[in-house]
Amino acid sequence: MNFGIEDSAEQGAFRDEVRAFLATAVPDNLEHAIDPVDMSYEQYQIRRALGRKLGAKGWLYPSMPVEYGGGDLSAEKVVILHDELSRVGLALPPYYDSGGKMAAPTILVWGTDEHKKRFLPPICRGEVRTWQLLSEPSAGSDLAGVKTTAVRDGDVYRVNGQKIFVGSSHGADYSWTIVVTDPKGERHKNLSWLMIPMNLPGITVQPMDLLATGGEAGSGSGVKNAVFFDDVRVPADHLVGGENNGWKVATTHLEVEHGGTGRLADRRVIYDFIEMCRDRRDGYAICDDAGARAEIVDLYIEAEITRLFALRNHWLAHTGQPRSYEGAQYSLRRKLSGLDMAEKMLRIAGPCVLTKDEKWGPLKGAIEYFQRDAITALHPGATTDIQKVVISRRLGIGGREKEKAGTLR
Amino acid sequence: MDLSLNDTQQLIQDSARDFVRGSCSREALLEIDRKPQLFMQGIWPQMAELGWTGMAIPETYGGTGNCATDVAVLFEELGAGPVPGPLFSSAVLCARILLDSATEEAKRAWLPLIASGERVFALALTEAQYGWSSQGVKLAARGEREGFVLNGTKVFVHDAERATDLIVVGRIEGGEGISLFRVDAKTPGVTVRPLAGFIAGMSEVVFDNAHVRGADLIGQGGAAADEIERALIAVTPVLCAYKVGGCRAVFDLSLNYARERTQFGQVIGRFQRVQDHLIHMVNFLDSARWTTYEALWKLDSGMDAASSVHVAKSVSSESYMRACDYAHEVHAGIGVMREYGLTLHTRMSRSLYHCLGAPKTHRQRLEKVLGLVNG
Repeated sequence: MNFGIEDSAEQGAFRDEVRAFLATAVPDNLEHAIDPVDMSYEQYQIRRALGRKLGAKGWLYPSMPVEYGGGDLSAEKVVILHDELSRVGLALPPYYDSGGKMAAPTILVWGTDEHKKRFLPPICRGEVRTWQLLSEPSAGSDLAGVKTTAVRDGDVYRVNGQKIFVGSSHGADYSWTIVVTDPKGERHKNLSWLMIPMNLPGITVQPMDLLATGGEAGSGSGVKNAVFFDDVRVPADHLVGGENNGWKVATTHLEVEHGGTGRLADRRVIYDFIEMCRDRRDGYAICDDAGARAEIVDLYIEAEITRLFALRNHWLAHTGQPRSYEGAQYSLRRKLSGLDMAEKMLRIAGPCVLTKDEKWGPLKGAIEYFQRDAITALHPGATTDIQKVVISRRLGIGGREKEKAGTLR
Repeated sequence: MDLSLNDTQQLIQDSARDFVRGSCSREALLEIDRKPQLFMQGIWPQMAELGWTGMAIPETYGGTGNCATDVAVLFEELGAGPVPGPLFSSAVLCARILLDSATEEAKRAWLPLIASGERVFALALTEAQYGWSSQGVKLAARGEREGFVLNGTKVFVHDAERATDLIVVGRIEGGEGISLFRVDAKTPGVTVRPLAGFIAGMSEVVFDNAHVRGADLIGQGGAAADEIERALIAVTPVLCAYKVGGCRAVFDLSLNYARERTQFGQVIGRFQRVQDHLIHMVNFLDSARWTTYEALWKLDSGMDAASSVHVAKSVSSESYMRACDYAHEVHAGIGVMREYGLTLHTRMSRSLYHCLGAPKTHRQRLEKVLGLVNG
């Protein structure tokens, strides 16, 4: 076994190349908002510009094929890219783009050649931003129970309904949306996916007021929205993966969303927190207390396990190995360990973790944000209970045939 | 990056898996449990024949010089048995200590005999003040003209009842530090008394005026504390791999049971509360697996592996024990029937929990590595 990512001169040279690129491509006026909700439109635009620069090199979506604007990089180089971006406080992509992360790999599997040529290159080059629209007020965990309809009418689908917990701040160009195309059809056989241009008439975006957004360091999602469709006419050739075949298409989307490809953005906040506990001020350090030390070590161990699950999934997906329960396992771990870590931080460091006050809030408010975000992160990409259901089905615990993992390219 | 086994490791895994299924089947292990002498008569010669006693020993000393990951792949399969000691004690732990500490002459004298399986070594380190460091060692070695006289009591010594030789950790009277002695287990004054009960494979070893030759002092007298520490770091992930195998076995056992056992008119795996037990188990299994194999990779690559080793040992010891707990929740009554085989693991998971340092000990060492305490 080899857990290393820098075994050859080529990989070392790649790291140097990425580092040199970022040194010039990341502008001096890029600011890091601890809470993505606080990211200004100007700062968002700065990140979009950086995304296009990365996209031009095939580095914005480094695992996607070159012919569609990706980088088709080796598993090791992808890790190096994430590493280097993380070093400068960013992630890949540097702004929230669920369409790039989840729709693109799904379109790669289920789209026609025409769909791939039309939708993928703009995503991979960073020219468009896409949100995913799945949850509805009455369909969260029960995704197959969505009610937003898309009824065929000549060469368009007329879309009506409401989606929630959508995307982020500052708008999107497309919405990758699961809809009901056969309202009278059998459950699981009545769904389809539409790539809906967000500039069509009849779309309303309304911000939601949430505890936090449950995002990731460096590409956090910012404000979540409710999106309303009022008789929106979507060109029929924007339906991807076949009419009423949407549940199968969803298996790929969910495989990615559930963590089947791993997430390489590390939780630097954990390591920063440990560093903070070592800091000695006025002769006192948090780690002077034996009980606190024991919990800090638990935090570290938990972070190690989560990191290794992510790395394993990245390797499995990137090298085309057989996969089963691993995606949901990683997602479950990440959610539960996040909550557990937040609680440990509260116990270890006291009420200061609850404030972003300039004087009293640690790490410029990063810990305070972690406290909120760890709770919010329990639901996006399926609840812990749904992750357990997926694991159980994949393992075949209930004696039935073992469910297959979602297809990746 | 490549998280798969290489061809050599695949072969090791296949042959070990065949061996465990054949010679160390559940029935065979239960039989050995009733008649422990069957192990050294029947199983041990086969293990030696397969070359496993020499895997962790360099070719110069009669072994095959495999890397730690190779050895770990073997031990993962043995853990799935669970095949009891003394392979780890002798051919991994004591071999490592001899390699790190012994004079060239002593290495040439003993390592080939360990590699061939003719001699079986066990480490007598722990005493009443239990712990896997030299701090609690009180056993006294009094110098005499021809060598030393040992007096003291070692307890919770793994595999002592199967050992031909003991590496005894003691203090030379009037000297500084910790020293190691090779002691023939048949030496007059040495008494090995296996401990009864839930415990597996551990004994009390009493030294009552046991005489050893001067040549049986291993390495420099008084300098062994650091050497033991180093050797323990190097072999710990191999023991962790054994626990990974144990986790895997109890998970597989429980998964199959949940898929087949019917209650209330359906297989019990249909119940989400039962599913939760299995999910805990697969999480324990994979946590133990990946922390262990990353530590092995670091060791084999010559990197500083200390933090990973401490993580792996903490995680694998707890994982194995808790995986067994959840297995019992899934199995209920049948799980505690000895003939079913689960209890072999349950007992092993407890008996190996402290071996090479309990999770608490490794967590405390991690505190040092992470810079939370000085020293």
